[in-house]
Amino acid sequence: MKKTKITLIILILLTVVSAFVSSTIGVYTALILLVLTAFKFIGISLVFMGLREAHPFWKGSILVFLLIFLGIVLMILQ
Amino acid sequence: MNKFTVTSKNIYYPPGGILLWIIIFLELITFGIALIAMVYSSKEQAAVFHESRLLLNSTIGAVNTIFLIVSGFFMAESVAYLKRGDLKKTTLFLKLTMLGGLLFLGVKGYEYADKIAEGYTLGYNTFFTYYWMLTLFHVIHVLVGLVILVSVFIGVRKKESTTTIEDVEASAAFWHMCDLIWLLLFPIIYLIF
Repeated sequence: MKKTKITLIILILLTVVSAFVSSTIGVYTALILLVLTAFKFIGISLVFMGLREAHPFWKGSILVFLLIFLGIVLMILQ
Repeated sequence: MNKFTVTSKNIYYPPGGILLWIIIFLELITFGIALIAMVYSSKEQAAVFHESRLLLNSTIGAVNTIFLIVSGFFMAESVAYLKRGDLKKTTLFLKLTMLGGLLFLGVKGYEYADKIAEGYTLGYNTFFTYYWMLTLFHVIHVLVGLVILVSVFIGVRKKESTTTIEDVEASAAFWHMCDLIWLLLFPIIYLIF
């Protein structure tokens, strides 16, 4: 339960950071926002959804989905 | 309360059940493809997407993200307390989870009313077509999630309940799926263009 509380605090902080980063104009703004999204996505799926304790196939599948999705988005944005 | 349990280490029994995880992946792929199409369209109409994105209030988007994250945390706590056999805290956290969902819908309703009043409806431009389609589709998922949570809440509170821990885990997985989808929608619709 301690891990879920720490994850909650990190997820809220990452959301606030995302909102601030979006107001800045820079070459890497989109990249930073998508990396922050990846961390939040991993936090929810592994900790809140309990995938951390699941079979590696499920952990791997969610990470592969995330990598493919963010990879395609970044490729299009470039 | 039926306490039939299975180990989630087994490949066929991820937390929430294999059928629900097939649904989760199908939903993530569906939303993923739609978001990729949106990003692709933005390359053709960069100015329209940038100006339209600025018409959205990113603070509202961030607040809604926090509502869903906190609601997801309460759901995880509810499942953890159920596994310990603490029904009182399980139902308390289930109520808080549903409150988070309702707050999300309330803020979304306010945002929708504001956009409709300003005339930024479905056909206003390509950006708003994607905005309405994607966020409304997500709202439908949140509504379905709330109905599932209400049904689990009623089931857990019954004295002669047939609701299992696996049922609650499945409803939790569906609720977290709404979080995951929103985490993909938020940066792309509200922030990156």
